[in-house]
Amino acid sequence: MKIPLESLRSCLDGAVPAVVSTCSPDGIPNVAYASQVHYVDAAHVALSFQFFSKTRENVLAHPYAQVQVIEPGSFRHFRLRVRYLRTETAGPLFEYMKAQLAGIAAQTGMDKVFVLRGADVYQVLDIENVDPHLPAAPPRPDALLGLRRTLDQLGTCDDLAVLADRALAALTHGFGIRHAQLAMLDETGNALYTLASLGYPASGVGAEVALGEGLIGVAARERIPVRINHRTGDYTYHAALRVADPATPRIALPVLTDAHSQIAVPVVDGECLLGVLYAESEHDAFFGHADEDALQIYGRHLGALVSRIAALPDEESAALPLPRTQPRGTPLAVRYFAHDHSVFVDNGYLIKGVAGSILWTLLNEHLASGRRDFCNRELRRDPRLPLPDLSDNLETRLILLQRRLAERCPQIALEKTGRGRFRLNIDRPLALQSA
Amino acid sequence: MSVLLSPEQIAFLQGPLSMNVGAVGRDGWPCVSRAQGIVVARDRRTLTVLLSSVRSRAVLDALDAGSAITLVASRPATHATLQLKAARAERVAVTAAHRAASARCVAGFGAELAALGYGDDLATALAALLPTDDLTGLRFVPEVVFDQTPGPQAGRVLARA
Repeated sequence: MKIPLESLRSCLDGAVPAVVSTCSPDGIPNVAYASQVHYVDAAHVALSFQFFSKTRENVLAHPYAQVQVIEPGSFRHFRLRVRYLRTETAGPLFEYMKAQLAGIAAQTGMDKVFVLRGADVYQVLDIENVDPHLPAAPPRPDALLGLRRTLDQLGTCDDLAVLADRALAALTHGFGIRHAQLAMLDETGNALYTLASLGYPASGVGAEVALGEGLIGVAARERIPVRINHRTGDYTYHAALRVADPATPRIALPVLTDAHSQIAVPVVDGECLLGVLYAESEHDAFFGHADEDALQIYGRHLGALVSRIAALPDEESAALPLPRTQPRGTPLAVRYFAHDHSVFVDNGYLIKGVAGSILWTLLNEHLASGRRDFCNRELRRDPRLPLPDLSDNLETRLILLQRRLAERCPQIALEKTGRGRFRLNIDRPLALQSA
Repeated sequence: MSVLLSPEQIAFLQGPLSMNVGAVGRDGWPCVSRAQGIVVARDRRTLTVLLSSVRSRAVLDALDAGSAITLVASRPATHATLQLKAARAERVAVTAAHRAASARCVAGFGAELAALGYGDDLATALAALLPTDDLTGLRFVPEVVFDQTPGPQAGRVLARA
């Protein structure tokens, strides 16, 4: 019976090194260890091209090879007859393999040696089970069942903040994931910021990652899921990465200091990238191929839900007016830096960018008119917010601002009073200063 | 002509290794099979490599048909790797000493992997996967020895006949 390549995906995670047998045009065989044999699709694998080796010289001249892979758990061997097709040096496949190689390299202590030059794509022509008498490795937990449990737990909701938190908490129920975050693409499309997190001492809400940096940034830029099965010392793939401009104030990204498994999947609605769902574990090989499939579907589901909530109309009825309250105590010193819209409260960094600009506008409006009730619609039209089209992003920025205030400056709070409506609650007098 | 293996190379070849034998079939396809033991002769020039007859059918057929042979041996803990090549190999009768050498080699390989975190039950699984009652011995005289340790120097010739 023909063995489908899909059934060998667990052999193609780099857990046990594979070997590649090639031959020169004059018939001299060569066998080399392959640090990475990557599942591309049902008919193709890709091997990492790291050095100009005899293997490479051989396949360029005589494109036929045999690859021997090993199933973790059972140690069953499989041999793949393959034909070299092409080398990719950029794009999603290359980026995925580069990220995964960083994990394999660190796990095998070869961090300084393994650098991906290209992804050599091979067509798989035949698969031989070398050990048909041996039982297969015990199956991993059913990822489809995990996805169903996650979706059952997620349920439905019309509130983006609730959705963000629930989307992460549901992962624990479905997949046993205990550390995760949801990062949203910002309005420039060049960076992502953490909107919600699960299982970290500090929430890290508002932390930024540049597009293309770290696992989150690579998953966003390439719009592909990226999974690393081993701890990596390669800083490029540590999720805790520098922000685009190191001189600007930053919020630390919530990540484990010693993650052994990481996965990032794009959150998309159709063709539109909205963000990245990232999860990690202290255990090696925590996420399998099937988990990657399931979480990729989950990312699409979340994307559709986020878009649906964003499209809901704001509530028309205004919140009941409140009597003016008199904030008491020492004034809060709020400083605003217009060049990056950053806001500092009592010299402590609070927020920047769109959320900073919104806060500054609200506080000034409040001081000028005493208003505390606002709606999203007016913010979208407010000329004091010199920002690009906010229509898709405003709600997530307000959630971000609300959470940063709750964590860093509880004397100022944003209270949701309806869909598209919120109230500013201030306990202390304000001393606003624009730098 | 043949290569005189150094004492270090001989010691290495008798350590806890992952080893594979490659050949080229009559149809021009390269093939590979896991080996499960190496015995170095007293002359320091001749090797006998031990393979499962059933698991290595394609490689053995290729060698019977006159293919050149390559043997790659790698130490999992250090990634130190040697590749030895020769124009031909011949089958030899498997002796009790060969079986003992194979059992030692497989056990050493399993212990090495267990120490690297591949699981304590791996040694048992390997012994079941690579038994000594199905061995074929291949004798060959390496004509070139390469350093195949991963890195830009991989492929460097260490000795040539």
